[in-house]
Amino acid sequence: MTVLRVTEANAASGSLAGLQAAASRLSALQTQLSSGRKITKPSDDPVGTVAALALRGQLQRSNQYQANASSGIGWLSQVDSTLSSVQTQAQQVRTLILQGSNTGANDASSRNALADSVDQLRQSMLALANTTYEGRPIFGGTTAGSAAFDSSGAYVGDTGSIVRTVGANDDVQINQTGTAVFGPNGGNLFDLLTTVSSDLRTNPSGLSGDLASLDAAMSNLSAQQGQAGSVYQRVQLVQTNASKTSLQLTTELSGLQDVDVADMAIQVSSANLTYQASLQTTANIRQTSLLDYLK
Amino acid sequence: MTSFSALTNAAAALAAQSYGMQITGQNIANADTEGYTRERVNEVATGPVPGVVTLYATSSKTAGTVNALGASRLNDPLIDARARTQEGLSGYADTAATTMSDIETNFNEPSDTGLTEQLNSYWKDWSAVANNPSDSAARSALLQQANTVTDTLHSTSSALSQLETDTQAGLASSVSQINTLAGQVGQLNAQIAVDQATGHDNPSLSDQRDLLLSKLATLGGAQSQLQPDGTATVTMGGLTLVAGATASTVAVNGSNLLTVGGTAVTLSSGQAQAQSQALTTTLPGFQASLDAVASKLASDVNSLHTSGYDLNGNPGGAFFSGATAATISVAITDPTAVAASATPSASGNLDNGLATQLAALGTSTTGADAAYRTLVANVGSASQRATEQSTVQDSVTASAKSLQASSSGVSYDDEVTNLLTFQRAYQASSRVLTTVDDMLDTLINRTGRVGL
Repeated sequence: MTVLRVTEANAASGSLAGLQAAASRLSALQTQLSSGRKITKPSDDPVGTVAALALRGQLQRSNQYQANASSGIGWLSQVDSTLSSVQTQAQQVRTLILQGSNTGANDASSRNALADSVDQLRQSMLALANTTYEGRPIFGGTTAGSAAFDSSGAYVGDTGSIVRTVGANDDVQINQTGTAVFGPNGGNLFDLLTTVSSDLRTNPSGLSGDLASLDAAMSNLSAQQGQAGSVYQRVQLVQTNASKTSLQLTTELSGLQDVDVADMAIQVSSANLTYQASLQTTANIRQTSLLDYLK
Repeated sequence: MTSFSALTNAAAALAAQSYGMQITGQNIANADTEGYTRERVNEVATGPVPGVVTLYATSSKTAGTVNALGASRLNDPLIDARARTQEGLSGYADTAATTMSDIETNFNEPSDTGLTEQLNSYWKDWSAVANNPSDSAARSALLQQANTVTDTLHSTSSALSQLETDTQAGLASSVSQINTLAGQVGQLNAQIAVDQATGHDNPSLSDQRDLLLSKLATLGGAQSQLQPDGTATVTMGGLTLVAGATASTVAVNGSNLLTVGGTAVTLSSGQAQAQSQALTTTLPGFQASLDAVASKLASDVNSLHTSGYDLNGNPGGAFFSGATAATISVAITDPTAVAASATPSASGNLDNGLATQLAALGTSTTGADAAYRTLVANVGSASQRATEQSTVQDSVTASAKSLQASSSGVSYDDEVTNLLTFQRAYQASSRVLTTVDDMLDTLINRTGRVGL
């Protein structure tokens, strides 16, 4: 192999190229360290970038699923507590019917008093049936109106369903319509209570039939409450899972795009050392020539 | 051969050595001059010519002495050609890498403010509308976010267009530089041919021309070949750019392709080619991909949105208008006109079926989000590839240039050694002169004076 001549030009450009390479490596590492990101631009790691972008999407969605589930849980809690109150009051009506049946045919004033109580309870249950959550009647379907039942006890909502997306392709219906909970128009709980009230006043013999109807209505209320409860459990489970998923995605994303500070610090100091060594070498290497030795 | 011829010999030698020192001085003086090629004195020994009385000879060549026949450049044309080829490839790779890096910067990914996050927020806002369709704040927030998405698309698109304009200006400037350089090479060619024909070599002209050739290689990927008459023939993609004193014109045609003398040419090296390629394929390609993202977003959202009903029960209109990244905009300004309901109703209802479906568009593997991720991946890998190519090419070029500097560059050690040689030779020749003079003195002044 021939010996390469070392000339002023190539010695200088060689040293300069080495210096610049060391400086550029140092600068790239410092950018990563100061930004805290391994991936500061797509070309740093195209595959990692796409994975990071996809993870960001998943993370945002997972967070949104949690928010959707929270909103669903709020709604379902309202449904549950409302139905419990309705149940309690229906139970009171049942007691009143039993009292009316036992009072006997002649004590009209007592039965009128009982009927007044039933009317009061009907008003109260109607108010419960019109309970709102975030301004919407919870048993009104998708109605834009403010009530599910009008003052006569007729259903004025619609049959629309309200869903919450709690996962990818996982839409959960969170509402029950007024007709499903309280019975169809003309035969709903409020119509029954009107009948109970008038039977108490004028037709005590009809009370036994009313009692049977009330028991059927109460059993439906229980079933509906049970259904709301199971949806509640499902949504809560999904929410817990989504929160775990979010945590996991955050960890993954961090592993993908964030720098390991200790590792990076070592790399930076090593690059720094290289750079300083290049500077030192460049400063020393071509200081002398033959001229220094000729007198 | 006469006694006096020895004097003439010594005088010629003194002249040759001092010329050598002059050239060495020139080499040292130009050690850092760009494009300077070290020179060597061409010394030849000339034998005595019999029968000519040296004292009266008209030429010093008649003596048995040394003669300096000018100086010649110590370059290796093969190494020079190789360095130029690599410079052309470097010019191409560096410009391509810079362009890609500029494109990449405009996408601002991955970040909390890039289009990916804007779209994520947009889909989230649809969920918020789904959770509470009657909430006008959620609807307004959705419209605001939709405007942010379109603004981001606009700014990315216009940044790409601006880059296109800048690259066009850069290409025009490269082409005008190529034409200027080609013209200068032509003029130098003419001068060099005359000099060579008349035997008055001027190495500095060749140095200047080689420097221009190397710039032409970087800018235009031009190849050059030395001709026997000393001129350089420059070609670009097989078409002649400079032949002798004549230079053709390089231009850019309507489709952003380079032309030499009117004929379109495709190259694989040179800065101008990289700029032309950015304008013909790279930038339009990414612009089209970005347009596809905008168009996909508009068509996906619109086809669902127009199938639904707004808060007042009216059928939903188009959510986005425009189908390119530069023209897409939000067509709705009234929050109640956002369609969240999938079921018809005379006076509107609070159904959230449509909003739920729209929120789910973000998960689509064929939707705008996925298309955008693919675009970012393509930008990233293209930029990474271009940067790697440019780094590799730069090191190849550096090695070729180093080899060139090694063959034609000045080394002080070399020159100082030569200087010593010439100095000693000069001293020796002076001694010869003195000695011969002494001898003649003895002959002329002391002969026949024995015993005086």
